[in-house]
Amino acid sequence: MYTNRIITTAIFMAFLSISCGNGDNGNGGSLPGSGGGSSAENRIDLLGAGATFPAPLITAMADEYRDLTNNRVTLNYQSIGSGGGIRQFMEQTVMFGMSEAFLSDEVMNNIQQSTGGRAFNMPITLADVVPTYNIPGIGEGVVFDGELLVEIYMGDVTRWNDPKIARLNPDLDLPGLPITVVHRSDGSGTTNVWTSFLSRVSERWRNRVGYATSVNWPVGIGGNGNEGVAGAVQNTPGAIGYNSFTYALLNDMSYGSVVNASGNVIEPSFEATSEAANIDLPEDTRVLFTNTPAEYGYPIAGFAWMLIYENLDANNAISNRREAEELIRFLIWSITDAQEMSESLGFARLPETALERNFAMIRQLKWNGELLGASLLEDHPLAASL
Amino acid sequence: MKTMLQRNIRDRFMEGLLVLSTIIVLLPLIIIIAHVIIHGIGALNWDFFTQELGSPSRALQGRPTGLVHTILGTLVVDFMALTIALPVGLGAGIMLSEYPDHKLNPVLRVMNDTLNGMPAILKGLLAFVLIVKPMGTFSGFSGGVALSFVMLPIIARTTESALMSIPWSIREAGLAIGLPRWRVVLSTVMPAARFGLVTGTLIAFARAAGEAAPLLFTSFGNNYLPNHWLGMILGPVDTLPQRLYSLAISPYSHWHNMGWAAAIVLLVFVMLTFATARFFTRQKF
Repeated sequence: MYTNRIITTAIFMAFLSISCGNGDNGNGGSLPGSGGGSSAENRIDLLGAGATFPAPLITAMADEYRDLTNNRVTLNYQSIGSGGGIRQFMEQTVMFGMSEAFLSDEVMNNIQQSTGGRAFNMPITLADVVPTYNIPGIGEGVVFDGELLVEIYMGDVTRWNDPKIARLNPDLDLPGLPITVVHRSDGSGTTNVWTSFLSRVSERWRNRVGYATSVNWPVGIGGNGNEGVAGAVQNTPGAIGYNSFTYALLNDMSYGSVVNASGNVIEPSFEATSEAANIDLPEDTRVLFTNTPAEYGYPIAGFAWMLIYENLDANNAISNRREAEELIRFLIWSITDAQEMSESLGFARLPETALERNFAMIRQLKWNGELLGASLLEDHPLAASL
Repeated sequence: MKTMLQRNIRDRFMEGLLVLSTIIVLLPLIIIIAHVIIHGIGALNWDFFTQELGSPSRALQGRPTGLVHTILGTLVVDFMALTIALPVGLGAGIMLSEYPDHKLNPVLRVMNDTLNGMPAILKGLLAFVLIVKPMGTFSGFSGGVALSFVMLPIIARTTESALMSIPWSIREAGLAIGLPRWRVVLSTVMPAARFGLVTGTLIAFARAAGEAAPLLFTSFGNNYLPNHWLGMILGPVDTLPQRLYSLAISPYSHWHNMGWAAAIVLLVFVMLTFATARFFTRQKF
């Protein structure tokens, strides 16, 4: 028994020392970062969690930022879904949340009451959703408009050679194949953006189905996750579904163009998605801009928001001023320089309007009343010009 | 009257049935192990054991990526859980076996069985409320506490039955030479039952090592080694069962392969634990 206990303790101690030794090796020998020395006391771990969709971008930013700061700042982002992100943000177990749906008025009020400050929704990137389909012999570029997508998803238009489809696609020879509607079976920000578009263009859809991260679909079969929908679409001739644009690109799916509110046929692209958000944004950026009024904007797009407390000291997850400072530094970097990484990873860049709003919110970030965000933004070249 | 031959045939037949059912019991295990190894062996390379996971673009662009932080995190969390659960579990087991008339025992027994049957996710929730919320952050420590709730009832139960298997005459011998009761337990009963105690502890350990649910909202996960060595205990940390799950549901085929490889590592880890248990039960002191 004693032998066992001694061995156990010894193994435990050994692994502890290995693990800390390894941590030191990984970071040892690194040069001082931009903000000072990179000795152990100077290193910072940041923690965020939430939406799955922006995770490839945020974690790639984390990789890059770690290199940039010579391992001084490590950002740990865990994708637990938008709902989980909001939940843990409110529980104050993460320094920031991430969500494809903005905080409701009720949540905003609760936070105002409990922390004495606001919760900010800061756009970090954009989510765009494209109609994907599988029509034998037809490639990319089938044109849809909002009303047509509503009728397909209501089960009113049931064949690909329907005159309503032919009217928008006069040059295509569409087969008389029945349409199989595919939708997400899980709760998803992608569904939120998609159904919000359908609700914006059709009163009938708004009244009968509405928009949410999951809804009661009138027709169709469910697929779990982007991959579930993609699988069902690719294996079913005549199927139509919806996927995030980056997912459709990465998996060589056929996707369609969509007519926007200005009557222009918009082929999905990062520029068109960014353009969609280039509208008159409210100060808190809590807005859905599906069916955007922007003339050349892609109509099925929305923000992915970073959720952060105005009074950073009120968040239990942030324990000292240095952590708050490094969090703001990362935030500023992620909406400016780091946006360069967007396109290669399949994301659209933040438009200037969103950047402007973000800067205004960052200027109000406080640590114990000190305007920490404003002082960090002071000598930022972009912030000065906006 | 049956002939000797008939008896022999019947005996062989029954023996054959037993062998068959043994094979049926072993078959799923063998299939699982074979499947995991076939899928995962390709992803087991030097990088896997030396690099951190990082973002999925690392895997997509063929840059080095691995699970060193996950493997170390698993060891830290599991041993932390053992350190917490062992003294308490042993105590409860000793109480049940050596002080059978104590009035706390009926309650203890029911509570212990309830804890054992409780869904593991609830143990994670308990640790979330007890540790994560007050600390204001997910941590390896809270993961250790959650896993210790998994280990505790098993250790208590196996300790009780190990001690009960020691004949009363051994205790009487100790008491006869004037030893106090706690001395008798510590110096005669427990050493005599040491094989059973070690085996029970290791079974509890292996059981907890495979649990993902209690860790979801306690140790939470991390894509890197923490920046500070105490970060393994005070900050969010990665563990194999949980990372395996998140790799498996990811949309990247490279991550799927890494998930299989993580499963191999976890399997080997658990099998090593059982091998250790066998080693202890065989050794003659």
